[in-house]
Amino acid sequence: MVLISLTTIFEQYPDRRYIMFGGKGGLGKTTFSAATAYYLAKKGKRVLVFSVDPQASLSDIFKRDIFGKGPTEIMPNLYAQEIDADRRIKEYQQEIRQKILDMYGMDKIPEEIESYIQAAAAEPAMEESAIFDEVVDIVVKGGYDYYIYDLVPLGHALYYLSMASVYDEWIDKITNLRQQMREYDQVAAVMKRDKELDEDAILNELLYIKDRINKSSGILTDKDKTAFFFVITAEQMVITDTVKAAELFAKFDVPLSGYVVNRVLSEALKQQEIPEYLKNRLVMQDKYLKVIDETFKNQILAYVPEMERDVTGLEMIEKLAINMFGSV
Amino acid sequence: MGDEEHKKGGFFRAVKEFVYGVAAHDSARFALKSRASMEHLFILITMGDMLGVPILPPYYSLRLLPYVVPQISTWKRRMLREKDLTDALA
Repeated sequence: MVLISLTTIFEQYPDRRYIMFGGKGGLGKTTFSAATAYYLAKKGKRVLVFSVDPQASLSDIFKRDIFGKGPTEIMPNLYAQEIDADRRIKEYQQEIRQKILDMYGMDKIPEEIESYIQAAAAEPAMEESAIFDEVVDIVVKGGYDYYIYDLVPLGHALYYLSMASVYDEWIDKITNLRQQMREYDQVAAVMKRDKELDEDAILNELLYIKDRINKSSGILTDKDKTAFFFVITAEQMVITDTVKAAELFAKFDVPLSGYVVNRVLSEALKQQEIPEYLKNRLVMQDKYLKVIDETFKNQILAYVPEMERDVTGLEMIEKLAINMFGSV
Repeated sequence: MGDEEHKKGGFFRAVKEFVYGVAAHDSARFALKSRASMEHLFILITMGDMLGVPILPPYYSLRLLPYVVPQISTWKRRMLREKDLTDALA
């Protein structure tokens, strides 16, 4: 099968520097991320592939323990990073505590406040938000030609995106309220002929948060700089779910670059003596490959064959990259 | 000399405060009262999960926590207490 399209995307749109693979769990998002990083690095681009998944598996794929160690060089031009959300949350809590102690000259955090800090960290959304925030750090810091997001499964990714737009609206509202409060302050100050108001530290803090969220969701929805690919396989459920997800992603203005079909069983198998089970799989695959063709038409960029063993280590990653891009 | 100037300043200040008291004190008081209600609304929005009403994502509400530490206890009292008729008069 022809595999020129995926390469074409990268050659035609060199500005698309934020690369994302999305799709249901276990379809090969992480392996595709790794293989794409490998391909681009071989082309001489400086690439960072990083995981936004709390259950990251880049360490397994590269056979290196990179968890929480920052960007780690895997080979020339190729860096990988797994974000340690837990540690980031702990450091962040400590930062907040220290700020309170400094601001009020206390030597101990009041009990009520401490319990709030603890409870907030236990919220399920905390981990996602922490990773979200670190991603902004990574991207703002720069230093790479390409950033490859090893995304979380579909549901999470959608939550991620919707979170960004909800955050944004909320912060707008809160910022407005804060600005209104400041106007009342000014009225009172003018009437009492007080001197200049102090700067509103909270307002500044809100504007900072807004800026962070905008940066993050801005990247995910930037048509010029972002390429988002869906990974699919020739199975009914996967196709149905992906169609639904694609609609939702479109609602959040995620620029979709195309679909990559993974785990395609070789046609050559049909000529061989194979067990009934495999024969049935092949018949099913033919059926759903047709559905895929009809559903996604010319948006399909590559068909990647089922590999003979799981993709770990650079050797297998190279093999996969050749299958995806034609050559490396 | 200095004493006289001080007296003069004192006189002007007294006049200034008198004029303020007659003309603007009520408006200023109203502005401050509105401001105080908004402060409570603001803390409810940002720190709502303290009452079990999470509104702002906790990761970011933690960023605001240091600034509202002094208000937290009065705010919780105000939010959780029952309302009665005298609230309307206050």
